[in-house]
Amino acid sequence: MERFSGHLRIGARARLLAVTVAAGGMMAALPASAADGVNQERLLNVDKEPGNWLHHHQNYAAHRFSTLKQITRDNVKNLKVAWTMHLGGVEGGGIWSHGGLEGTPIAENGFLYVTDGWGSVYKIDAHGGRGVLVWKMDPKTDHDWAGAVACCGVDNRGVALWGDLVISHTLDGRLIATNKETGQVKWQRTVADPDKGEVITGAPLIVKNMAITGVAGAEYGIRGWLAATDLTTEKEVWRTHTIPGKGEPGSETWKDNNNAAAAGGGSTWVTGSYDPAIDTIFWGTGNPGPDWDNAYRPGDNLYTDSSLALDANTGKIKWHYQHTPNDPYDYDSVAERVLVDVPGPSGPLKLALEADRNGFAYAIDRTTGKFVWGLPFVKKVTWTKGLDAETGKPIEYDPNKAVQTYVTSVTPSRTNMETDICPGNMGGKNWPPTAYNPDLKLWYIPVIESCNRIKVEVATPDKLKPREFWTGGGPSQPFKITGSVTAIDVTTGKIAGKLETPFPNLGGILATSDLVFTGQPSGEVMALDAKSLQKLWEFNTGGGVNAPPMTFTVDGKQYVAILVGLGGAWDKWFIDSTPELKKIQPGSMLYVFAL
Amino acid sequence: MELKPLPAAASMLLVSVVALSFSMPAAAYAQAAQTPALDPTNAGKGVFSKANCVGCHKWHGNGGGGYGGDALSLRKTELTREQFIETVGCGRPGTAMPFFTRGAYDEVKCHDMNRQEAGAQMPPEGGTFLRPKDIEAVTDYVIAHIKGAGEPNYAECITFFGSASRACDIYKAQEQKPEDAVANTGKSK
Repeated sequence: MERFSGHLRIGARARLLAVTVAAGGMMAALPASAADGVNQERLLNVDKEPGNWLHHHQNYAAHRFSTLKQITRDNVKNLKVAWTMHLGGVEGGGIWSHGGLEGTPIAENGFLYVTDGWGSVYKIDAHGGRGVLVWKMDPKTDHDWAGAVACCGVDNRGVALWGDLVISHTLDGRLIATNKETGQVKWQRTVADPDKGEVITGAPLIVKNMAITGVAGAEYGIRGWLAATDLTTEKEVWRTHTIPGKGEPGSETWKDNNNAAAAGGGSTWVTGSYDPAIDTIFWGTGNPGPDWDNAYRPGDNLYTDSSLALDANTGKIKWHYQHTPNDPYDYDSVAERVLVDVPGPSGPLKLALEADRNGFAYAIDRTTGKFVWGLPFVKKVTWTKGLDAETGKPIEYDPNKAVQTYVTSVTPSRTNMETDICPGNMGGKNWPPTAYNPDLKLWYIPVIESCNRIKVEVATPDKLKPREFWTGGGPSQPFKITGSVTAIDVTTGKIAGKLETPFPNLGGILATSDLVFTGQPSGEVMALDAKSLQKLWEFNTGGGVNAPPMTFTVDGKQYVAILVGLGGAWDKWFIDSTPELKKIQPGSMLYVFAL
Repeated sequence: MELKPLPAAASMLLVSVVALSFSMPAAAYAQAAQTPALDPTNAGKGVFSKANCVGCHKWHGNGGGGYGGDALSLRKTELTREQFIETVGCGRPGTAMPFFTRGAYDEVKCHDMNRQEAGAQMPPEGGTFLRPKDIEAVTDYVIAHIKGAGEPNYAECITFFGSASRACDIYKAQEQKPEDAVANTGKSK
């Protein structure tokens, strides 16, 4: 019943749109059925449809902020489970004993689109206060092929919508376009190659009829890239490597004789953001490889651990800003860039914010790539004494040195083969996304308050093998690790609040006008006051929260949804730092809350 | 899964293994290759997967560093059958190698220690418990098929995974064009 009414409404909307489109004479090349689907106009103006959640990061600026106001600080205590749905994808493969859920649901007109770790896409009808599975698209991911080279879990962070298609990735390297109505695969294209150690975990970013794909694999000797696929022709429009080729600008920052750049890392496994005003894509890059033996790869190792600004049409790098040159810690700068405009001394500042694994939050001028401010957002940083106020580089950074040592007594190196670093190599913040409240100008960071121990193994070229770890050492977990939600006032670049949590934040954040939603790997989903970070509501899901919350409306009613199923890197590699989490069982479940 | 007799691969392996002076396991491997259906050492392969030995040691047993610390190479190990059985049952104190015997360090003494005496050196508990028969089976599998073997190859990989997965393609490519597949060149498609 509800489904029919939903379809009727969509039908009416489609006709309306079709008229508009025909009148404007736009999009003539697109099939007629795309008219009722997602187009660039809608992706640019998501504020006009606040009941939907169309982007992975909510909007192009990666704010993960909803203006929906039915659930407030005053009534959130009445929030209850509306419905749940068990999903699949828990099975293991390769080196993984089980999958997990890290995805952000996409919501459009009362339908949710979610993924499990192996890349199955579920379309769920959320009308009528309950969830009904409309279809499931199982891409039949090659578990052993992909799971053997996935450094950090059987993960898939979600889909995007375009026209009448659902666009998704698989761990084994495919970009898949599925018919939104039928769940049938319309086409698919191989973008990444697990034979080279490449896998895909991030959600696609859709910009102007292109799907932008990032790659994971910097622990397996990949040479990172971003690739744009035309969603009409199904062909690659551009592919930009994040490690320059021989003779290209930046190649001089690889000074070794090992051809280290060819396996230099610089992965791009977290979905980026886009500024339509300057037609620029912002994307972060991962660590150089081998992770902990930086003497193998003397030089700054561009463009690893960097913020990149790319021309959306060509993929050409407009500017770069490197956060941890010649990184010996595994401090990826791969997190989402949050695009915000704040008043400055001489006009508005157009910033790209990033909370880096190295423990520092950065504001970069997104027009020029110049450092604006930076500060530690974790309680403990030991690898550097701080950032240079002018350049934002770690103060010990010496551009004349081939191999950086930063705080030498702490830094992993060939003469400091076993050492403790803070933050630990999982970082002060990993992939779980931040959220930004543009009214309060507060930016909320899901924090891993951490240290861990690094053992260096000297890398030699003969140790570089396809589909085998290329890390130059490894971490262990002798210290207890906790977490926090840390708020930064973007107008001052200062910490505005910190709510400490018993466990690291492995899920990420949703901001609404007066609330912040987040979760814990011990099972709790919680709502905090947006200003004080005081906890106002909590529900224990009985699983491990490893994914970000989002919100949407159906039939005019607001819901909060979150995927629950602990997987990813934590419960294989870092669990000894949080022994209580060993009792959390693998799971795969969607929770939806309402008043 | 049956191991197809591949004389070329087997003899190549034999040469490389002898060069590494592991003649005993090489003989065992060659024997396994010749009489797959009757080989009782295959029984432990299922245990090797079920107990998630592959999670750290990988399917080929080479283990290695990376995010998981440093799982020892079962190909280069010099452990005897008895030492294997003890290590699987009791884990390795002070490392991430779990114990797989129910009641280890409680009812069953391990390395002459109980849980209290092991203290901080107490190894983690395996994801599944194995009966003594399973521990012997996985030990015999590792000794016959992994210990002393040289570099992993296509035939060995296909024996482990079957042909449904592309997990072995890389070894096939290496054997066809070894000069191109030594390392990931990171070339664009």
